[in-house]
Parts: sequence; C-alpha cells; structure tokens
Amino acid sequence: MNRIYQKLAGKPIALFSGLAWVVVYFLVRGLLEAYQFTEGLRVVVALIPIIPFAFFLVAALFEIRQMDELHRKVHLEALAIAFPLAMLLLMILGLLELVIPLSPDDWSYHHVWYYLPIFYLFGVWNAWRRYL
Amino acid sequence: MKNRLKVLRAERDWSQAELADRLNVSRQTINAIETEKYDPSLPLAFQIAELFEMKIEEIFTSEKRK
Repeated sequence: MNRIYQKLAGKPIALFSGLAWVVVYFLVRGLLEAYQFTEGLRVVVALIPIIPFAFFLVAALFEIRQMDELHRKVHLEALAIAFPLAMLLLMILGLLELVIPLSPDDWSYHHVWYYLPIFYLFGVWNAWRRYL
Repeated sequence: MKNRLKVLRAERDWSQAELADRLNVSRQTINAIETEKYDPSLPLAFQIAELFEMKIEEIFTSEKRK
C-alpha cells in the first residue's frame, strides 16, 4: 500500500479523476436524454457517475493528506465559504419556489449543482488571495 | 506575528524552494510565512527553529512584544 502511495504522490490524480467524473456525468446525461431505456435501466444509468465520483473522493482525500499545512488551510477556508453559499442558494431557491414558479428547465438539480464547484473555486481563490 | 525567516534564509544563501524542501512544505508556504501573511503551526515553527539551530522566540516574535 505504501508503494502505491509513493507512486501516486505528487501526481494530479484528483484532477484526472475529477475530469473523468465530469466526462461520465455528461455521457450519462446525454444517454438519458437521447435514449428511452426502461425505467429500471434509466435509474441504473443515472447512478453510474457515483463510481467515478467515489474514485475522485478517494483521490481528493489522498491529495489533501499529502498537502502541507497552508494548502490544507486554504481548502478548509474554501469549504467554509462554499458550504454556507451552497446552503444559501438552496434556501433562497426553496423560498422563491413558494413565491414564483421556478422553471425546472432552469432550476432543476442538474442545473443547480454546477454552482457548488463554482462556490468552492471562489473559496479557494479568496483564500489564496489572502496568503499570496 | 513578526519573523526573521527571510533574513535567516538569506544568510544561508538558500532559495525559498530550497528552504521549502528542507522543511517538507511548499514554496508558497515559505513565502506566506516570510511576508507574514501566514503564521506557521507550532510543529512547523519548531521544525524551523531546529533547522536554523535557534530558539523559536529568536525567529518569531509576537506583535505585542515588539
């Protein structure tokens, strides 16, 4: 196991597994929009991105464990910004839903999740701005 | 917190990258400590003191004690 860790150390495995996850997501979305599978199969296909996401999560945790203290602090601050922003977005959408009809063509789950990595990247940028 | 890291590093003619390698941290971390934008953790401060063979308080001083 240690040999695997040593081989992977310093390589951008989280980036590559993250890209693989996004590619699989768009492939699955394309498949679901283009083909009419049976309902059971549609559910199975819709859950496929969990597999590359699991790899991404393990890779991201591995990379965070390799980071030094400043880099870890930057990612912690990024989460501290991204998580409340994500809550705020969902809360506002929930409240707006009570007041005006939100079109699922614009505000369904598969539109809203894009904002979460954007919030996280904003958090990373904001933290680095303080320390560099 | 104030620190003399930049001066001590310059006295030994080390680059930021060289010091970062010796301390097993990134160059950005060294830069952030030198520019006093980031205060290192206690274990890292001890590591720095050991590397320069000095006491922590000879390298780092609090703003209040200045």
